[in-house]
Amino acid sequence: MAEHPGHSGTRDAEPMSGNWNENPPWVVPVPTDEDREFFEGASRGELRIQRCDECGLHQHYPRYLCSHCGSTEVKWVTASGVGTVYSFTVIRQNGVPPFRERLPFVVAAVDLEETGARLVASMPGADPAQVAIGMQVRATFRSVGEGIGLVDFA
Amino acid sequence: MKRNVCVVGVGHADGPYATGLQPNALIAQGFTRALADAGLRKDQVDGLASAGHSGMHEVAVAEYLGIRPAWLDSTSCGGSSFEFHAQHAYRAIEAGDVDVVAICYGSNLLSASGRTLGTGGGGGQRGMQPPGPMKYEFPTGLTLVGAYAMAANRHMHEYGTTPDQLASIAVQMREHASRNTNAMYRTPLTVDDVLESRLVADPLHKLDCCVISDGGVCVILAAEHIAAGLRWSTKPVYVRGGSGGTTHHSVQGMSDMTTTAAVIAGKRAFETAGIVPSDVDVFCSYDSFTYTVLVTLEDLGFAPKGEGGPFVAEGNLRLGGALPTNPDGGGLSCTHPGMRGLFLLAEATRQLRNDAGESQVQGAETAVCNGSGGWLSTQGTVVLGTQSR
Ligand SMILES: [Zn+2]
Repeated sequence: MAEHPGHSGTRDAEPMSGNWNENPPWVVPVPTDEDREFFEGASRGELRIQRCDECGLHQHYPRYLCSHCGSTEVKWVTASGVGTVYSFTVIRQNGVPPFRERLPFVVAAVDLEETGARLVASMPGADPAQVAIGMQVRATFRSVGEGIGLVDFA
Repeated sequence: MKRNVCVVGVGHADGPYATGLQPNALIAQGFTRALADAGLRKDQVDGLASAGHSGMHEVAVAEYLGIRPAWLDSTSCGGSSFEFHAQHAYRAIEAGDVDVVAICYGSNLLSASGRTLGTGGGGGQRGMQPPGPMKYEFPTGLTLVGAYAMAANRHMHEYGTTPDQLASIAVQMREHASRNTNAMYRTPLTVDDVLESRLVADPLHKLDCCVISDGGVCVILAAEHIAAGLRWSTKPVYVRGGSGGTTHHSVQGMSDMTTTAAVIAGKRAFETAGIVPSDVDVFCSYDSFTYTVLVTLEDLGFAPKGEGGPFVAEGNLRLGGALPTNPDGGGLSCTHPGMRGLFLLAEATRQLRNDAGESQVQGAETAVCNGSGGWLSTQGTVVLGTQSR
């Protein structure tokens, strides 16, 4: 095997496959009072995260308290959607539909420019060979149900 | 006065294939074999620790075994649970709260579920909502293997760690398994074999991932005065210290993917035991993935942060190397029925009893077990030795 298979950055371009609009019930999050703002925000094209009044840091996912300093003065804000890839992987095996039909696909850990908030998200349009740690990415949104959206990056 | 604590009995259930045996039967196999190994009766067991996947798991185990323990520990924090159990039991026996604690585990994962662990879509399964923060990761299609892969990728980015170096860990574990007739896979591997196995989640290949097996094991701890009257009294194995910690649940919460709670757990465990990394003769590492070994051996101080790659590639995990690791072949080649933490304590004991046959690390006096649970989320470190503190 001539190709060195360890690092996705060295692999040939691979077309994305699968239907990203097909979302059976088991992959659709069920919002609660605590996190509905995040999922509803995503369904209308906004990345909603929390900012702490006390320390000024942000967090994802939403919580009753600031996970950084412990203050309970956390408020919803709309993030710019711009972030940096902290790390990523290319999923090549996942036995659960619809993920099985989408293989291979990129999942990244993205640090938002709002300090303190990180999301793990899909990059549905991304060619695995073009994704790199440190690259700037921007949020996109995908509706998966009535008032329920997911945040992706591109 | 504080009492010394010994490992007095070890018993393995059937494995790596145990078709037809339910998890509690595997637990009972390990338990009865550990009692026989120790020379104990079951009514002498006054403490029980176990981790499973349901509430009151350890209570159901006690009933199944027909024991009425006065001390229970059901800490369930993934594969490292059993290092937490050992540390808690060690302190409770030391303090005189309990005399004899059986730590039990059994699983028929392979027979019941097949080889799907780690690639079944993260924390969720079809038809149910995933727990806790997995709610945000499951819809992305991230798998358990993918979470470890993401962490490994960051280590490669920061420190120049290579897939070849990770692969060398799997090669060395297989070399150990080739000497172990109980190991699941025994045919020697090369680095190229690992790199040419299919990618599951970049940069982790199939052979960077642990096996899926059935199995179970029981480890019994007891106060020294009880150990003195038992079967292994002339080759005592002491618990010298332990600690644990957590940094996150799902990988999204792992702010630094190149460092685990083993930094803290290891430091405290080594201090309690009165040892430094260079004292360690045997390292029993939870090798769920090659990267797990690499990152935790750095965190425990066996190699400086970022230098784990060259350290493993030099062959230091071999018998005769600087840090003989998982002489039984580990989770990568020997056995992994879902949670491996208790097997680490069993293997360390076998080594310190000088009872490991062809897998023996010559002159082993100090062993470190480091269990890793979840998505590198929890780390438990236990130090065992042939001498008391
Ligand atoms: Zn704060």
